[in-house]
Amino acid sequence: MSESLFSRVFLPKGRNKVWWAFIFVLILGIAGGLVAFGNYYNQAIDNYKLLFPPKVKEIPFRLGLDLLGGSQLVYDADVSAVPAGEQGQAAEGARDVIERRVNVFGVSEPLVQVNRTSDGKYRIIVELAGIKDIREAIKKIGETPLLEFKEQRTEAPTLSPEQKKEIEDYNKTAKIRAEEVLGKLLSGGDFAALAREYSEDLETKADGGSVDWVAKNEAPDVAKAAESIGVGKTSRDLVTTTEGYELLKVEEKRLKEVKASHILICYQGAEKCEGNLTKEQAYAKIKELKDKATPANFAQLAKDNSTEAGAKESGGDLGWFAKGAMVEPFEKAVWEQKVGTISFVVETKFGYHIIFKADENPEYKLSHILIKTKSAEALLGEDAQWKNTELTGRNLKRASVQFNPQDNTPQVSLEFDEEGAKLFEEITGRNVGKPVAIFLDGYAISVPNVNEKITGGQAVITGNFSVIESRELAKRLNAGALPVPITLVNQQTIGASLGQASVDNSLKAGIVGLILVALFMIIYYRFLGFLSVISLLIYGLLSLAIFKLWPVTLTLSGIAGFILSIGMAVDANILIFERLKEELRAGKSLSSAIQEGFSRAWPSIRDSNFTTLLTCIVLIEFSTSAIKGFAVTLMLGVLLSMFSAITVTRTLLRMFSERWFEKHHWLIGYRKSN
Amino acid sequence: MVNFISKRKLWVSISAVLVAASITMLALWGLKLGIDFTGGSLLEVKFLGSAPSVTEVEEKLADLQLKSLTSQPTEQNGMVLRFQDTSEETHQAILKRLPPLEELRFEAVGPSVGQELQRKAIYAIILVLLTISFYMAWAFRKVSRPVASWKYGVVTLISLFHDVVIVLGLFAFLGEFYGVEINTSFIAATLTVLGFSVHDTIVVFDRIRENLPRSNQDFAGTVNTSLNQTIVRSINTSVTVMLVLAAIVFLGGASIQYFSLALLVGIFFGTYSSIFLASPLLVFWDNFSRRNNA
Repeated sequence: MSESLFSRVFLPKGRNKVWWAFIFVLILGIAGGLVAFGNYYNQAIDNYKLLFPPKVKEIPFRLGLDLLGGSQLVYDADVSAVPAGEQGQAAEGARDVIERRVNVFGVSEPLVQVNRTSDGKYRIIVELAGIKDIREAIKKIGETPLLEFKEQRTEAPTLSPEQKKEIEDYNKTAKIRAEEVLGKLLSGGDFAALAREYSEDLETKADGGSVDWVAKNEAPDVAKAAESIGVGKTSRDLVTTTEGYELLKVEEKRLKEVKASHILICYQGAEKCEGNLTKEQAYAKIKELKDKATPANFAQLAKDNSTEAGAKESGGDLGWFAKGAMVEPFEKAVWEQKVGTISFVVETKFGYHIIFKADENPEYKLSHILIKTKSAEALLGEDAQWKNTELTGRNLKRASVQFNPQDNTPQVSLEFDEEGAKLFEEITGRNVGKPVAIFLDGYAISVPNVNEKITGGQAVITGNFSVIESRELAKRLNAGALPVPITLVNQQTIGASLGQASVDNSLKAGIVGLILVALFMIIYYRFLGFLSVISLLIYGLLSLAIFKLWPVTLTLSGIAGFILSIGMAVDANILIFERLKEELRAGKSLSSAIQEGFSRAWPSIRDSNFTTLLTCIVLIEFSTSAIKGFAVTLMLGVLLSMFSAITVTRTLLRMFSERWFEKHHWLIGYRKSN
Repeated sequence: MVNFISKRKLWVSISAVLVAASITMLALWGLKLGIDFTGGSLLEVKFLGSAPSVTEVEEKLADLQLKSLTSQPTEQNGMVLRFQDTSEETHQAILKRLPPLEELRFEAVGPSVGQELQRKAIYAIILVLLTISFYMAWAFRKVSRPVASWKYGVVTLISLFHDVVIVLGLFAFLGEFYGVEINTSFIAATLTVLGFSVHDTIVVFDRIRENLPRSNQDFAGTVNTSLNQTIVRSINTSVTVMLVLAAIVFLGGASIQYFSLALLVGIFFGTYSSIFLASPLLVFWDNFSRRNNA
């Protein structure tokens, strides 16, 4: 018995092998399903409050612009003024600048890429999903990169009246928005869904606002609010932090670290003990100290009595420590006692202790919805420290990477035009010994110190640059100084409502298509058709799972490609089944007919799919993003369907014995000739 | 067994008529190229109030002097505007002049991009045709009797041409009478039709290849037997794909409707040509070369 079990499991042959293949297919199908429909699965677990099985990680589909709504902008970068070898670099520089400008809009995953066309033009493609004000975006992007030279400000900066008003107005509307969300939350809205819709924290928004653990010392105001809200509950009031208005959901609380001191009285035989008290004497001593000790005299008592090495200096202070730093009975006691109290006598392998807990640092597992506010500091920003000079990127002729002749470290050299040279001379003249900052698009990219007044319109920026960093800097400076003019040549904006309609429509079409194919297959091929529909479903699950995992950006045409591949996926099955029936008609036994059906249909399946793959490869090279999406999903579909139609269907078919088929031959739809 | 081959003259004539008609329509009307290829702008809006009439809209925009402006009302209180200018200022100026609306879609393609895309599309089609022919010649390299392997390739190309021309003809017709434009996704559809049609033809030829060595019939008979053996598969495959495509045509929404229609028609004729054009042509060719040799 045991031997046969062993051989069945580890030496599969014959039917056992079929079972293994079946289990493999089953696992693959389940795994595919869990990835493809993880959100529904988790929801089901929530609904029935199941503790088992565990939840899976939800992976969203990556939707293209046409489904999500958003804009694609294509710019021509005119690099004709740039020397031949540096054109690519100039385009890359412009790309970096655009990316920084785009990041300001708060779009979730902006995509900015340089594309070199076959005739040597440089295109910059910007994709902004879900953007609201495309006009503003186009305006911002179109500005020529801004290079500024700034010197230190001596007088204190103040807000202009307009700026003050701007902050006030902004924060007023922010509060209204935050209160609106709070209202929704209080009237029973789902926290995660609200976070996804309203939160302005782009990093956590997609995860339903989850920020994981936040300790008290990292964010005291948030921790205080979390404490008053209580574990398992959500905010009933707005929490105001430096970032803005917050709504919190407190999921768990735990103690991260505690601060404590202790007095140790060790006895003979305890670890590291150098004293000579017996265990009883030690106990009597510690009891006595316990009775005497108060928070005020604890340190002094420790200095005078503790047998711990170094206690004379430290007063028994252990500082902050986290879980796992202390031996177990000690940790248990200090974790449970209240702040400001002295523990009972605790025995560890080192001897007897009493512990004074000075402070603790709890942490909270939180989700939050953030509605941002503006502050004076943020608005003044770097301005607070720097003020503009008249020297800008207009005056820079070029920047290049050089190597310091003395120690061979990389540095960036700047070359100004005539006016720039004069301005630079003045600026350096009045800032000797002080730093001057070089800003690109509002960010300080380098803050060199002026060593002496510089004449002649040449300057070098030295610093702790690596070669790569200095190249990067030169690239950025050149982009700022030699603005590559960009022109908008292509724009595609899809409103969010149209995108949603497309998703709905194509989903409906896909489901109806799938049902039609399934009906057709089952009616025509009966039981075989049923098996092929199961493998088709597994195919569908696996494709969707791969779309999520790769991830494939799903566009409308991509979905069309996927739907089309559903139709193509059954093709291999039809080829096999027709062949199989033909072999049966020729009088072959069922098992050899199955064998023949699969092996003879294979060359046709291979050849025909191969041509589709070739077409897909050409289409991918064709490289318009819409068409690429179609070709990618179709190609994936063709590859996967070969697996599902052949391996999966064959495995399912082999699960049934020949005798079973003979008995129910109508299931296959052929009559035995005799 | 149905004898397809005996009526080969009829089948080939039907195809010839269809191709001739398609070429005529193409010559007469040409294809209506979308802004993907010509450059220009397309703006689709949905009016929040009641939709203004076409003339009202065109009056409102008159001062912008848009080149070749056409406006076309859509089903749900909306309108599609097409015009030549592609600048963002024009776009914003138009939005400002129209009554309150939701902007559903705006596409602007600069003229240089359009030309580039046209060129790319042509390259892509040529490349696909070449790859497929080479692959056919290679796949059938071992079959040389009684019909040389390269002839399979040529016949496949002819039936591919047949399929694509009919689809193009249909869209010339749709363009002339229903204003349907072709865009990049139409090119993708055409290329997919090429792939699929070859797919079908290969299955039939594959069977001929398999039957030839052990057949005791003449070439025409062998071809006919092979056709009979594969016809159910050919039809069933097309039916399943066409079921799916029909679902997209009717339910998939306007943006991929014509894309799917091109696929639907192309795949129908792809199947037709693999049964009723490619195989009969092989037999014609075989007979022709025999007569010449005799």
